[in-house]
This record gives sequence, C-alpha cells and structure tokens, in this order.
Amino acid sequence: MPKILEINSASVGYNEDIVLKDVNLEIFDNDFIGVIGPNGGGKTTLLKLLLGELKPSKGKVTYHSILPNETLFGYLPQSVSIDKKFPITVLEVVLSGLMSKKGVAGRYTSMDKKLALDLLSRIGIANLKGRTIGELSGGQLQRVFLSRALVSHPRLLILDEPNTYVDNKFEKELYELLKELNREMAIVMVSHDLGTITSHVKTIACVNRNLHYHPSNSITSEQLAAYDCPIQIIAHGPVPHTVLGKHN
Amino acid sequence: MLNSLANFFQYQFVVNAFVAALLIAVAAGMVGSYIVAKRLVFLSGGITHASFGGIGIAYFLGVNPLAGAAAFAVLSAFGVEALSQRMAVREDSAIGILWSVGMAIGIFFIYLTPGYSPNLMTFLFGSILTVSSTDIWLLLTLNMVMVAFFLLFYRSILYLAFDPDFAKTQRIPVKTFSYILKGFLALTIVLSIRMVGIILLISLLTIPPSTANLFTKRFNQIIFASIAIGFLGAVGGLLISYNMNVPSGATIIMVLVAIFAVAKLLRFLFVKIKLRRA
Repeated sequence: MPKILEINSASVGYNEDIVLKDVNLEIFDNDFIGVIGPNGGGKTTLLKLLLGELKPSKGKVTYHSILPNETLFGYLPQSVSIDKKFPITVLEVVLSGLMSKKGVAGRYTSMDKKLALDLLSRIGIANLKGRTIGELSGGQLQRVFLSRALVSHPRLLILDEPNTYVDNKFEKELYELLKELNREMAIVMVSHDLGTITSHVKTIACVNRNLHYHPSNSITSEQLAAYDCPIQIIAHGPVPHTVLGKHN
Repeated sequence: MLNSLANFFQYQFVVNAFVAALLIAVAAGMVGSYIVAKRLVFLSGGITHASFGGIGIAYFLGVNPLAGAAAFAVLSAFGVEALSQRMAVREDSAIGILWSVGMAIGIFFIYLTPGYSPNLMTFLFGSILTVSSTDIWLLLTLNMVMVAFFLLFYRSILYLAFDPDFAKTQRIPVKTFSYILKGFLALTIVLSIRMVGIILLISLLTIPPSTANLFTKRFNQIIFASIAIGFLGAVGGLLISYNMNVPSGATIIMVLVAIFAVAKLLRFLFVKIKLRRA
C-alpha cells in the first residue's frame, strides 16, 4: 500500500503548552484508524497536524506520492460554526468542497453538479438538494457537511466525532457508508466511543500527549493502561470486545 | 404627467441624480446582500457614522469632504478588527466607540472651522440633487471594479461569507477577500452619503436584501433583486420628493420601507394560500 503521510517525532504546542510530544504515525492508503484518548489529550490537535493547519514546533510531517490534481483531505470537524439563516442551498454547500480544485475564480460545470448530486443520493439526502440549510435538522446538516468533505473524492477522510449530532438511524448508515468508502480512501476517525471504534476501525491510535499506535482493532484494558490512555467507556449492547473498567 | 416628467429631466442635476441613483442601487445591492447575509449591519452603521469624522476634518483643512469621509470609513472598517483583537475590546463595543467618536470628531471640527459653516443637514440627511459629475465618475469606477470582482469571485465570496474556516481549507484567500469586501463596503457607504445621508444610509443597504430574502434564499438572486428594489425605491422616492417638495433621502427610505411592507404582505398571503391548498 502506498504511504500517504507520516509524522516523525513531532511536537505541537499552543504557546508554551505542549499538547502533543514526540508523536510518530504513518498513514497508508485504505487505512482506517480510530483515534481515542481522554478529553484534552490532543485528538483534535493531531487532526490539525495531519491537515497542516498546525505546524509542529519540533519534528515534521511529510506527505508522500501526492498526485497532481488530487485532493488529499476531506475534513468533517466536530462542530461547524455557521449561521443557519445564511441564504445558501444544500447543493451549493456540497459544491463548495470542490473549490480547492476549481481555484478562487472557480465555476461549476454540469459534471461537477452531477458529481455532487450522485453523492447526495449515496448519502441519502438527494431530496434536500434545493433546500436552504436553515430548513434542515441537525442530522441532515451533518450529512450535508459529510458530503462537502467527500465531494472532491479525497485520498484521506478525517472525521472528528462524526456521531456527535447524528440520529441512531444515520449512525448505523454512516458506519456502513464509511466501510464502503474505506475501499476507496483512507479514514482517520476520532471517537469517544470505544464500542464504535473497536467494531468499525482497523487500527487504533491512543492519544494522550503521546501517541501509541495499536495495529489491530481489539484492545484490552491492560494495553490501554500501558498506553496511559484512560478513555470514557460507553457500554453498548452486543459489543464484540471487552467492556473495560476505568483505570488510573 | 409625461409633460411634467419631460420638464423634470431637462435639468442636468436631475439627470445626475437619476444616474447616481442607479449606480448606488447596484453598489448597495451587492454590498448590502453581503452584509445582511454575514450579519455585518452594525459594523456598517459604525463605518457610516465614523466617516462623519473625516468630513469634519476635511472641512477644517479645506480639502474635499468625500476624501476625508473615505479615509475615515476605510480606516474604521479595517480598524474594528484590529481594535478588538489587539486591545481586547469586544467587537460590538469597538463598533459602538467608533460610531460616536467619529460623529464627535466631525461636529468638533466643523464648529472649529472659521467662517462659513457648511450645512450639516446635507451630510446627515443627504441631498441627491447636489450630486456632481465627479461623484458620478467615482461611482461608475467603483461599480465597475465591484461588478468585476463579484462576477469573477462569486463562489469564493459566497463560501467565505458562509463558512470562513472551511473556505480556508479550500485555499480561498479569506483574509484578503474580507478586507477587499470591507473596503468596498466603506467606499459604497461614502459615495451613497449624498443620496440619503449618514443617518438614513443603513436602510439603503439593508432594506433591499431583506425584501429580496422574503422571496428567494439564493445569494445571487438576492443580489439582483436588491439592485432592482434599490433602484425602484430611489427613483420612486426622487419623483415623490420632487412633486411634494420634501427631502429626497427620507422619501427614498420611506418608499423602500413601503416596498418591504407590500412584499411582506404578499409573502404572507402566498403562504396562506399555499397552506390552504395543501
């Protein structure tokens, strides 16, 4: 599998506070990495480091074999701060995900629109294309933002707690969709929910100031303790893995 | 009626007034749609009033008052962000300070100016019949630059107004474009002062997009409709003010509000009928 990017002993801090220290991570095509860790442990900071929005104070991030005219990232932030009364339609929001390809003076062709509409069908919200965002529920809006992240067909999809605002029905569909998308792209997903992580991802990164990469999707409490990665446990019905107690 | 219209247009200043009304409607339609969508109305009010400080100083120094107004407007448009970031003043407070300090400086210097004291009322309430051909040329230039910018970068403008964080990830130069748009806002304000005056100007920017927004939620349609509504209001107001011999600025705003009220009523009836059918 070709390598997309690697982080080499990178440290990141806001002012003097070190949030991530000596972090190493490699991401390959078709990876599906679940990022877990306590609040304030640096999960979102890790994503920003991947995205290039934050520069490491030490170490480096290297991007590999990026093809010309390829979109590297699709990013769905944990919360998108927007004005719900803004006069913009669902289709326009989704098309905005193509701007980096189109350039600042970009215009859309009928091909672009077809691409966006096909994607909306796939996400199950084709009927909403002409609605303004103010007419949507929280879950529908989340799907619109997911579509915006996907429309450029990124090589790496980065999701920050995608299950925060979605309804139970879509949560199930979302993981089905991610599984399908994972055949076409690598995915990095932050989640609080260990049950979710262990049943859907391929590998796990525990982030708590340091990063411990765990090359499988089953993880035991001993391993988590060894990684110094206390996380919030949410018990689910038939979780296929050990439900873990709290440890210090 | 036709006869009186023909009479009306035989004066150069009347023709100037109509051309200015058209040009201002175009500029205000574009800028107004942006500030209403992005909720920058209060900032626009601040810039408008702050520009009065420039007018006062320009009078005191004996230079063109529009140049003074433009300098103050652009500086305050850019300054609010700097003020709120560097001096840790909250943004709405910073706007409030600029708003009244600008007015205070203007009044202070106009009263200090020896000899002839210019008619304050002209700047506060507008007087479109004093539009000069220089004003028209300035408006035309501003319009051409703005129309070109909006046509070329329409998508980028829409997306940076909607979600600047995401726009940045799409390599849209959010900061630069925001400054350019604020510059357009400041210059449109300054060149519209002659038509409706400082006190009434904010409605000229906000009523047309608010009216358009009743019928369409598309940003580009809001811009086009705002231009049409703004022009209708300006021309209607001018004709009424000429016939009734009342100030044009106030009349234009009242016509715009009347258009808004009728639109709101139509919208209300439309929704009712639709509900009954459903």
